[in-house]
Amino acid sequence: MTFTKLYDTAAAAVADVHNGATVLIGGVSRTGEPTALLAALHSHGAAGLTIVCDFSGWDGSDSIVKLAADGRIARIISPNPYPSASGDNLREVWNSAGVAIESVPQGTLAERLRAAGAGIGGVFVPVGLGTRFADGRETRTINGVECILESPLRADFALVRAASADTLGNLAYQGAQRGWNAVMATAARITITQADTVGEPGAIGPELVITPGIYVNRVVHIPPTGEQG
Amino acid sequence: MPPAKLNAQAMARRAAAAIAPGDVVAIDDGLPTLVPDATSASLGAWFLGNSGMLNDIPLSQADAAAVIRGGYVNLAVVSAAQVDTTGSFAGQHPPGNAVDLAAGAHRVIALLPRSDDVGASNIVPALSSTPDGYRCVDTIITDAAVIDVADADLTLAELAPGWTADDVRAITAADLSISPTLREMDFTPSNGAPPSKIYPDGPSALADLPDGATVFIDGFGGPGGMAHYLLISLRDRGSRGLTIVSNTAGIARVVSFGTPPGRTAIDHSVLIENGQVAKAIASFPVSPSVSRPSEFELAYRRGEVDLELVPQGTLAERLRAGGAGIHAFYTHTGAGTLIAEGKETRNINGRNYVLEYGLLADFAIIRAHKADTNGNLVYRGTSRNFNAVMAPSARVTIAEVDEIVAPGQLDPEEIVTPGPFVQRIVQRPQGFTGYE
Repeated sequence: MTFTKLYDTAAAAVADVHNGATVLIGGVSRTGEPTALLAALHSHGAAGLTIVCDFSGWDGSDSIVKLAADGRIARIISPNPYPSASGDNLREVWNSAGVAIESVPQGTLAERLRAAGAGIGGVFVPVGLGTRFADGRETRTINGVECILESPLRADFALVRAASADTLGNLAYQGAQRGWNAVMATAARITITQADTVGEPGAIGPELVITPGIYVNRVVHIPPTGEQG
Repeated sequence: MPPAKLNAQAMARRAAAAIAPGDVVAIDDGLPTLVPDATSASLGAWFLGNSGMLNDIPLSQADAAAVIRGGYVNLAVVSAAQVDTTGSFAGQHPPGNAVDLAAGAHRVIALLPRSDDVGASNIVPALSSTPDGYRCVDTIITDAAVIDVADADLTLAELAPGWTADDVRAITAADLSISPTLREMDFTPSNGAPPSKIYPDGPSALADLPDGATVFIDGFGGPGGMAHYLLISLRDRGSRGLTIVSNTAGIARVVSFGTPPGRTAIDHSVLIENGQVAKAIASFPVSPSVSRPSEFELAYRRGEVDLELVPQGTLAERLRAGGAGIHAFYTHTGAGTLIAEGKETRNINGRNYVLEYGLLADFAIIRAHKADTNGNLVYRGTSRNFNAVMAPSARVTIAEVDEIVAPGQLDPEEIVTPGPFVQRIVQRPQGFTGYE
């Protein structure tokens, strides 16, 4: 039998997401978001989740908002929890669902995820000084520059979206899909990919592979349905 | 009847007028997203969006954050809800990228929302919430004025057409000084083009490499992925007292994989035997063969050069950290070994880590397959090795390439090193090989 990371359904791929898990969700709104995996996670019913995502807008049945409204989310860690277009509505959703919101600077979130994937124990970065993000934090002056110690952010699961995958989990993205998906794919114990196309090993040129298969545990083939990928 | 306020496009045009040729401009969500369309394409500006797109080149969020923290953003245009007299600001949809941009960008323009949409002054003596950017705004652009921020003082510098200083003061909560050169807003787009990155040959690209410089040199063990032509050019230039940072300190010559009979592989040895190297920072500085020591080993035994030994992965991470604005990091690698001697160690979640520092250089000489004239690079196969992490971490990165193509000729999905990291491009001469 040929080794494959391919799962038949999104439901099967998320079946072991446990209550209280920390789950990374790639993409920004509908761009590069793993919509089918989000819908499957909703059907699956796991609750008490900590969700790490960027812009958590939109309100379809396959959205983070729907997960929150139905009481599945305990906490959201995001650089953009109240995006300008729908910020006030979302504030109400988070409040009424009892979701704790942890706002984090975008670049620092990316670096903390990268650190988790790269086995880095912590990084000193000169970001956030003089703001609430420095409150109570360990700081150190290095080369005359004051820096904050930021710790890796590791997750149980990452749900990511790719334009193409092979059965070994090598991934390529399209345009802005890459943003969060590429960094989140490295930072979870189990990374689950929703791929628009899936080929045999070698289908993606090696120079074009952005996420090597070693970071990816499961692949689900979901042909796009016309929504923005 | 108060004068007409600027519309959003006019505010974007005024922000765009501040862009210099070749600038990397970070664009926040909201009004700033109108700035790229208000900018002349001939300016050769790079726009970095919150999504991680650098013009049409997709970056991971970690790489986009590295561009910002690494000091590559000349100008950030942020969406501010409020700005105070010290230049601290509260973002419109915080925190987003505002905190990163405030810390990393050389210059920050705060675009305020149109005052009709807000109903109150958003230039205030003190913010009504905690800041997202602390004392970082240089210029405020509103729908009525341009205000400069310096030394905890706001200076009214430009007025929208039809406005007077008193009109602006009447709708501004904070005190404003009046610039002696107060004038009407100038929407004239910046002109000019960035200087060409193409150099005719190696010597001209290296002409300002001084004695005592720190130089990153790419390459792995064999001849692949090494800028041989630039190495020879650096030998001919003769700069001395160099600190070289590289995976090896030159072993391709002694390993001689694939070297044609009667010839020798070009590597760091050409600099060492010419007496140009004072120190190497390397992970594999010696020959794998005791009977065939490298030029560096011989010089080391003679006491002519210093050596800092760094594990290979730590070297790569220190190089990445330097360019990514990470001043230091903890790694498990080397904990409990000689490598950790004299370094800070720390137990984090039950595991020992060693504190390592970012590496920066004056120059990097790297090797790529193709460049476009904007400096975007693609590599081929294993020759990507250290090139990609070195390029962002040197003040001047010089790429030796097989081919130079026009912008748009490289697939943006395939570009590994974006142009802002590359200052100079030299085409490897036809027929030049990695052997002498």
